[in-house]
Order: sequence, then structure tokens, then C-alpha cells
Amino acid sequence: MAELLVSIQNITKTYDVGEVKIRALRGVSFDVHEGDFLIIRGRNGSGKSTLLRQIGLLDKPNSGEILLEEKKVTHMKEEERRICRLMKIGYIFQEYALIAELTALENILLPALMLEPKKSCEKRAKNLLREFGLEKRMNNLPQQLSGGEQQKVAIARALINNPIIIFADEPTANLDTVAARDVLETFKRLNIEQRYTIVMITHEPEEEKYANRILMLSDGKIV
Amino acid sequence: MTKHEAKIPFRLLWVFLRRGNRWTLILIIFLMSVAFINMIFVPTLFDGVIKAADDQVVDMSTGHILMLPESGQNQIADAEKAVEQLRSIPGVVGVSSGLALPTTLEYNNIRGNWQIIAIDPDNERMVTKIFEHMIEGSYLREHDLFSIIIGRQIAGGEDVENNAFSFKDAEVGDTVKVSFDGFSEDFKIGGIFYSKFIDTDQKAFITRDVLDKVVPALAGEANRIIVRLDEDVSVESIVNKISAADIDGIAYSWEDAVGLMKSVTKSFVSINILMTLVASLIAAVTIFIVIYIDVSSKRKQIGILRAIGVKPSLIVWSYIFQAIVYALSGILFGTALYFAALVPYFSAFPFVLPIGDARLAFDAVGYVIRLETFIFVSIGAGLIPVLFITRIKLLNAIWGR
Repeated sequence: MAELLVSIQNITKTYDVGEVKIRALRGVSFDVHEGDFLIIRGRNGSGKSTLLRQIGLLDKPNSGEILLEEKKVTHMKEEERRICRLMKIGYIFQEYALIAELTALENILLPALMLEPKKSCEKRAKNLLREFGLEKRMNNLPQQLSGGEQQKVAIARALINNPIIIFADEPTANLDTVAARDVLETFKRLNIEQRYTIVMITHEPEEEKYANRILMLSDGKIV
Repeated sequence: MTKHEAKIPFRLLWVFLRRGNRWTLILIIFLMSVAFINMIFVPTLFDGVIKAADDQVVDMSTGHILMLPESGQNQIADAEKAVEQLRSIPGVVGVSSGLALPTTLEYNNIRGNWQIIAIDPDNERMVTKIFEHMIEGSYLREHDLFSIIIGRQIAGGEDVENNAFSFKDAEVGDTVKVSFDGFSEDFKIGGIFYSKFIDTDQKAFITRDVLDKVVPALAGEANRIIVRLDEDVSVESIVNKISAADIDGIAYSWEDAVGLMKSVTKSFVSINILMTLVASLIAAVTIFIVIYIDVSSKRKQIGILRAIGVKPSLIVWSYIFQAIVYALSGILFGTALYFAALVPYFSAFPFVLPIGDARLAFDAVGYVIRLETFIFVSIGAGLIPVLFITRIKLLNAIWGR
């Protein structure tokens, strides 16, 4: 049995929009094990992104518990959550979220520079760029890269500190079919060859084939 | 904070400045420069007005020290001895005695009461600078007889403030009848001076020689002695020395002697403090708005930095350094513009005031205080929004809300 990495226990999240309360998550529970490539699928508004933000420690649920390597992280102080995000989690945003003024290499290096000197992590960053076929683009700014290339840089940035789990929030939503397939193949390769645990959300049914586990989310509940 | 962490704010600062929008950077530095100029221009202009007023009193009226007769006396008892004693004091560079008389001057059937002062022209040149401000004719010479120099306010002219009460365009070579105390004599106008110090421009001067000749009873008498000091000598210390020595007459510093100017100067100092505060406030608001908008526009960027695990304190430092760079650039370009454009301009085209021409008076201490204030305000302007953005909900920061 693979090791349990993340356990989500009955989490709820409600947003106040003016006087209206939107119950985005209504008691979601599931586990993620080492080596999983889990796709959470659901229609727009089903609560997928909200769920990922809670597990990715970008937001806090109203109730329930999230355990990362059996440690409760839900109510940790912000500084501890930051360290978790830095060292244990690789988060990939739908819109890449690269820093516009940094080159591809500098974007990848930035989280690593929080933990080690540039000399020791630069080679690793360059290896990641080479692995993703971007070695010639390392000195390009995000605006000089295609959408697919930017997303690969974002993936490389998520991997630079060797996280225990990768969360990807609709990483192909802004890409054309070819670039989307390229990104998904990259995830698959990372999962199979390097045993990265990946949790990805999507609303595209055809992307399910890349996963080894699928969860369906509807109206804030696992169905 | 580890050594490699400490480098992150500098790395971020460097790339933000190098690769950010160049026009935005230029605009920010321009606005910061204007804000800094605003902080130094108004106070130095007022300092210039104050300095002009002070210099005019010293150069055109009283010198640094004015000696007047003892209380109840009309003359300084032994003026010649007093002059010699004053000259022997270290730091004194010029002493001139004079006899000021209330007179009636008559020209072309225009009569008026003005003060004339009988002086030794060579001694007077050592104290006042009226001789440098002759607009017609020439200054008195040592043994000039029946020559009089008159101020522009007496001579008159279309653009003269007191033209209504003047000779209305008297010229060099014209004759003026001088009458006082039963004595009456014609004098030729040898020169007209325009000191731009209205009190002096309402006076006239004749030589001591001619007064002694026509009124021998007044020979050697003086009711004012003016003293010029080395620029680096304290006026108060010399006044104290004179008061302590056995010298006839009472010594007044130029500030005490011209009470009106003292109150004008005092008022200008008060206005200057007020204007400095207002200018600082305007500059502070400008800096705050400029940096606040700049940092606020990077809300999403700050959110991403937080999301990938960059320490908030490092993010804060990078924006503080950025604010400091903006401030230093504003100070650098503002100062350069001030000295390269404003100072030469106002030297060539000073503000013309009734008390004299006002130029910008740079004060190093005031400059340093304003520079520190500018940097301090800039840091505050950068710090407040970035602190706010590093403390709001992470998702709101990422979404730029």
C-alpha cells in the first residue's frame, strides 16, 4: 500500500457574496497516496478550484481538516503554511502566474533561492529547463514564451524544491490542443518516471486518460 | 534571515527596475524629482527673501553695527575717538561716522522733507555698498563740494514707487536747494542711487567737508557711526565688546537697529516654516500617491511571490528598497535640476521686492533635513501598501483584489 500523503476530511467552504452565501464545498473527504495521479473533474462552479486552493494551502476551509503527511495543516500559522507551500507543495496555476520581470530561469530559481544559494540550485533549474525542452528559452521573459512554454516554466518552478505533491489548477485551460497534450504528457511522465504525486483539476473528460484515479465533484460534493 | 535569503530583495529590486516598464519608471522618477524640487524650492525662495532683506539692511543702511548717541544726547560726544576705538577692535573692517540731518529739499518748485547724511565718502565705501548702485552720475568723492547724491525715491520717475512725493524725474546736473536750521544752499545733483532698499532710497548724501565748510559749528559732530565686520565674526560678540569698552554711544546690532526689518524677517521666517510644512505635505502626498499606485499595481505579483513561498518580509524589503531608489533618484535629478536650472535662472532674473532682489538661498542643513524627510516619507509610502498586500488574504492578492 502506497504511503498516505494527503488526507482531506469533511472540509466545507462558504463564500459570502454580499448577502448571499455560496456553499462551494459541502463536506469533501478523500485521500491522496504517494504516486497517485488524481484528476478531480467537474463542471464550472462545481467547487474544483476552491477545493484545490484549500489543499494547496492558499486558503482555509470553514471546517474540516487537511492532513499533509499526517500533520494537521488547516489551522497552522501563516508562516508554517508558507514553509509547507515552499518545501512540500508545488502549485501550478491556470494562468501560469509567472513573474513578468523574471526570465524563465529566474522564475524557476526564485523558490529555490529561499532555501539555498544560487550556485547549488542553478544547475537543477537548468536541468529542468532541458528536461522540458526549454534550455534555449531560459533567458526569455514570460511574454516572449508561448502559453505552453509558460506553463512548462510554471511546472518547473513547482518542481524546483522537490515537493512531495503537485497541485495543478486546470493547467491546460488556456492552451491550444497541442500545447495542452504536451503539458499533460509532461505530467504523466513526471508521475510515471519520477513518481511525483499529482492532483490535477479539469473539466475536460478526455484528460481523464492521463490519471490513475478520478474524482467527480458536483455542487461541492464528491459524487 | 539567511545570507541567500537576504539577496532576494536586491535581486527582485534589480529586475523590477531593469525590466519593468521604462516609461513608468521615467514618469515616477520625474514626479519624484518635481516633488523634491517643490520641497526645496519654496523654502529656499523664502530664505532668499529673508537673506535679501538682511543683506539690504547691512549693505545699504546700518552696516553690521549702528552706533547712536547716548540717551538724551543729540550727538556722539567724541565721534572721532569712538571711530578710532572701533577700528582697533579685531574683526572690524570698516567704520564710518555721519551726521544725519532733517532737511527741506527744493527742486523745480517742489519742496519736501528728507533726511540727508553728511559722510566721509571713502569711509562710507568701507561699510555700505550704495556706491555700487549708482544709476546715474557717480558716488561722492572725498572733497566734493556742493555735490549731492540723492536716492531714486527722491529723484522720482514714472516707475518709481513714491513718484507722487518726489522731484518727478530730477537728473544729474540739476540743482537742488538744501535748507536746514536757518541754513540754505544750492547743491548740484552728482548722482542718483537705487539701492532697492526703499528706506535708503529716500535719503540723500553730501560730504562731511562741505557741511564743515558751510556750518562750521557742526564740524566733527556725528549722530551715527556704522560698522562693518568680517563675514565670519559674530555681530553680538562685537556689540558686547563695544558695550563693555569705554566707547561713546550705544551699539546696536543691525537686527536691533532696524526693528521693522526684524519684524519683517521674523514674519518671513514664520511664513517660511509654514510654507516648508505645506511643501513637505504636498511632496509627501505626491510621493505617497506615486509609490502607492506603483506598489498597488503589483498586487498580483506580490500575491504570486507569497503563493510560491517567498517570505513576506523579503517582499516588503524589496519594495522598501524600490521606494528608496525612487526617492534617491528624485533627490538626484531634483537637485541637479535645482542647481542647473532654477538657481541660475533666479540669479539672472531675481524676484524684485521693495526690500531688495530675492534669489534662491541654498541652506545645506535645511537641504539635508528635507532630503531625510523625503526618504522617510518615500519609505512610508512604499511600506504601507506592501504591508497591506502581504497581510490580506492570499487569494485576494493573487487575484489583484
